[in-house]
Amino acid sequence: MSELKLIRGYPKNMRESIELVEKTRDGRIKHPYKETYRFLTLEERDEVLQKHHPDYKREMKRALKIGPNKGDLVPLEIADILEAHSAVDPKDIDLSHVDYDTDILIIGSGGAGLAAALWANYSGTNAEDILIVTKLRFGDSNSKMSQAGIQAADRPQDSPMLHYLDIMGAGHFVNDPELVKTFVMEAPSIIKWHEKLGVMYDREPDGTMIEDLIGGLSRLRVHCCRDYTGLEIMRNLMDEVQNLGIPVLEFSPAIELIMNEYGQAAGAILWNMETEEYFIARAKSTILTTGGFGRLHIQGFPTTNHYGSTSDGLILAYRAGAKLRDMDSIQYHPTGAAYPEAIVGLLCTAKLRGRGAQPVNKYGEVFVNPLEPRDVEAAMIIRECYEKNNGVETQTGMRGVWLDTPMIDTLNGEGTIEKAFPAMFRQFNRQDIDIREDPILVFPTLHYQNGGVVINLKTETAVPSLFAAGEVTGGVHGKNRLVGNSWMELQVFGRRAGIYAAERAKKAKLGKLTLDHLVKYEEMLKEAGIETDRRSPVLLPEYRGERILSHALDIL
Amino acid sequence: MSKSDVEERKVRVYVMGREYKVPFGLTIMKAMEYAGYRFIRGAGCRGGFCGACATVYRIEGDYKLRVALACQKTVEDGMYLTQLPFTPANKPVYDVEKLSPSVNVLLEYYPEIAKCVSCNTCTKACPQDLEVMDYVQAALRGDFEEVARLSFDCITCGLCAMRCPTEIVPYSAALLARRLYGKYVMPRAKHVDERIKEIEEGKFDGEIKNLMSASLDVLKEMYTKREIEK
Amino acid sequence: MRIPYFPGCAMKTTAKNCEISGMAVASKLDIEMVELPRWNCCGVFPSLVNDDLMRHVAPIRNLIRVQEMNKSGIVENEYRLVTLCSMCYHTLKEANLFIKDKEKLTKINTFMDREEEYGGGVKVLSFLELLKEGGYEKIAKEVKKPLKGLKVAPYYGCLLLRPREIGVDDPENPTILEKLLEVLGADVVDNPCKTQCCGSYHTIDRKSIVGELAYNNLIYPIRNGAEVIATCCPLCTFNLDSRQKEAKELHRDLKEIPIIYYTQLMAIAFGLEEKIFGLDLNLHYIDPKPLLKAKNLY
Repeated sequence: MSELKLIRGYPKNMRESIELVEKTRDGRIKHPYKETYRFLTLEERDEVLQKHHPDYKREMKRALKIGPNKGDLVPLEIADILEAHSAVDPKDIDLSHVDYDTDILIIGSGGAGLAAALWANYSGTNAEDILIVTKLRFGDSNSKMSQAGIQAADRPQDSPMLHYLDIMGAGHFVNDPELVKTFVMEAPSIIKWHEKLGVMYDREPDGTMIEDLIGGLSRLRVHCCRDYTGLEIMRNLMDEVQNLGIPVLEFSPAIELIMNEYGQAAGAILWNMETEEYFIARAKSTILTTGGFGRLHIQGFPTTNHYGSTSDGLILAYRAGAKLRDMDSIQYHPTGAAYPEAIVGLLCTAKLRGRGAQPVNKYGEVFVNPLEPRDVEAAMIIRECYEKNNGVETQTGMRGVWLDTPMIDTLNGEGTIEKAFPAMFRQFNRQDIDIREDPILVFPTLHYQNGGVVINLKTETAVPSLFAAGEVTGGVHGKNRLVGNSWMELQVFGRRAGIYAAERAKKAKLGKLTLDHLVKYEEMLKEAGIETDRRSPVLLPEYRGERILSHALDIL
Repeated sequence: MSKSDVEERKVRVYVMGREYKVPFGLTIMKAMEYAGYRFIRGAGCRGGFCGACATVYRIEGDYKLRVALACQKTVEDGMYLTQLPFTPANKPVYDVEKLSPSVNVLLEYYPEIAKCVSCNTCTKACPQDLEVMDYVQAALRGDFEEVARLSFDCITCGLCAMRCPTEIVPYSAALLARRLYGKYVMPRAKHVDERIKEIEEGKFDGEIKNLMSASLDVLKEMYTKREIEK
Repeated sequence: MRIPYFPGCAMKTTAKNCEISGMAVASKLDIEMVELPRWNCCGVFPSLVNDDLMRHVAPIRNLIRVQEMNKSGIVENEYRLVTLCSMCYHTLKEANLFIKDKEKLTKINTFMDREEEYGGGVKVLSFLELLKEGGYEKIAKEVKKPLKGLKVAPYYGCLLLRPREIGVDDPENPTILEKLLEVLGADVVDNPCKTQCCGSYHTIDRKSIVGELAYNNLIYPIRNGAEVIATCCPLCTFNLDSRQKEAKELHRDLKEIPIIYYTQLMAIAFGLEEKIFGLDLNLHYIDPKPLLKAKNLY
């Protein structure tokens, strides 16, 4: 392989395409995207999704053979973890000795878990009666990586009704109306709570929140903290949890739920990732806030998700008898980085398009309105690259389209990118690419679990005493989530989970602990004729190469 | 390196002293996984936002210690590296409701910031290229706005605290400063309060109820016809 | 003239009244004090306590900023650095003397590898010195409201005067502040305690020592008829002013006396706007306003 010469981060063939993008830029700036490319009608949306969106590849899914959602079509990778053995053999577990006894067990420390912990405390549960357990570090989550922001209809020109409509439309109208209504009505109060904590939302000098209009929205509604929104909110929430003294157990994922004789969720088996010791955590209420599934690499896509995103909560809940919904719908973020290889799959925030950057093909032509909802946008990019063959190909075979970021400074004033997109600027600067001068290559990347565990307004699942909130749940976003609504979901329903779990814990009665549900699940697998050595939860993806694994000896 | 190593464009990295030959173009994190390491500590978001993979390295032939995030930095030939997955920094407990944005508050909870000798080691240790010393100095003179501005992109990786000769934990002091700034100094958004009031008074109850009970066709029409703000 | 100005941490917080009045009176005398960009704390804590190289990095870094100001054209060929705070003045000047040892300068320069080298050419001045340099006639011209009838006792403290190599005037019997007060029209009262230490950092954990010192430093000028003490240094000011509380607990016969910066007196004498006097920033323990009102100066 000859030495590839890079010119400001890009090789020659990509530079040639960039020149074409530069040629069309002035024309595209003079005629803003809103007039250049109209939105697709609902019928057109359907058509392009059917043809190009990865969700619609029937062969990449199969029907579940067991459990509450038997018969439902889900991606192969999801079916693989649901139709798998537990990592735990009940015979090996001594339930008689309880290591952690708590009122509320919160599994996961992202935005939803932290909100649940704080609001459980605010509503009267003592800090020492709450226990947060996390698989990796405290705060490790997709929440922290979120960039664009958080939605709340708090401007006079906006209303909860418009927010409701936007959500339903993006979600293909199958969202749970009760959940969505509660969501849009409680969103502004979350912003107020964040203000009280000290979250540094971007504002005008008079205090008015700066809000963006991004794909699928009808109003400027996405609040942001530059493009480190998730990080900024998480820093505040984490600090608050530490100040209140709520105990956190790191590197201790829940590998199975524990039930009791009354059929209620009664805690979890925790496993120390470093010492391999298991612990019994008994709880009066258990809250699942385990996030998404990006590291399962559905259909082999790269992902925006953090290292531990392996949908543990989904299988834990499923084994306990919880019902799932919309697991056939996977969100691919339209603009994941496609070059260079080092950052493939990483999120390039939708806010870039919100501030004017247009996706264009290798000839510099616009082929989609930048403000379509995510699934439509992603499908259109896939079509452009694979049906029309107008994408740019990198030396690793990755295809993508350009996101014309230099437009942002031209449209909004010099210095906008550095001020509003420090994370993006830094991410590409580290790869010797200056996004103020050159466009970036993007392609859809595995991003979000639209569906999940079914919950009601109290975030209760079908399993008594088991609550769930955040990405692990379904119903709020229907078949497709809008930008900025994930963070608000974490807060609105994380808060509710904390409050209602606390309420329930007050009336809970402790019963005899049991792992019978695991035995039953094993029987279900047998009856359905599922023969496999797969185990779940997966906990971490396996990134070591074949070469290493084929020579590894487990001796110590 | 062998001829095939060179042909395949392999580079030498030394993980805590042991040599591995890994393909060119991989990040430190992926290179270590290629070499056979499975991260439990030292990996988090893998995207440059969480600071779990703080790495200190030196390039063969040079004496300078450099810093990077393993998930973002690509390997270089002759890279000697180690990771710092945890920093045992002290964090005091406080209640922002009871504090005010004054330098005395910062000095009360983080008295060690007065020990700053302006040596700039913290700035050199920051993988986000922040001007850490400058924001510690801004904290010392009660300039909360400057602390917030300069420290905003901090991912609390811990490297600055580990390198500071006077045991300051810059990012913790900055976090308190930012929270106080966001809570007390930044102007309030009145429209949020107004909207919350409207919601509590039930202003939108009727219309929302209609939306919830609307038929699918009506809903689709309303959605298609809704005006997008300019 | 445009001259680099080093504020220091106190001038931005507890001594804001000194900075506001100081900047304003300077401006009246055609002196534009241009704040040093990216300045850091002078390093008074570490550098005065220790004699090593590391702890002189902080002040030297500030002197490099003066060089940068000249390079970038913010000031033109002006390598003097003026300060209002006595402690900053002392620390910066002392660092300048420290690096006269070329070996030490080389080491510090090599350590600060992200800065340009310090050449040793910056001169550190106290604002008092700058005023004297400009000539008292110039100051007299600006006095619109002479401080007639105001009996002022000068107080220098230590760091402005000692050691000799650093002092702005004779360490035993300085007169630079008296001369200024005379020009302002005040009745200058002899203060035998004018160069005595205020207690400095003992104020943090040995308040009673500072209270006792405050008593001793105040009763003599009071007995000589002083109605107000004019100070130069934020720490002295704090110790003489706020610690009158502890002083009174130890000696009930202490009459309370307001403490005011000489820059504030200048602002009053120049007839500037009242908000420039810095009397309403909640920084005075003993309120000078009643006294000033009685003298028709407020």
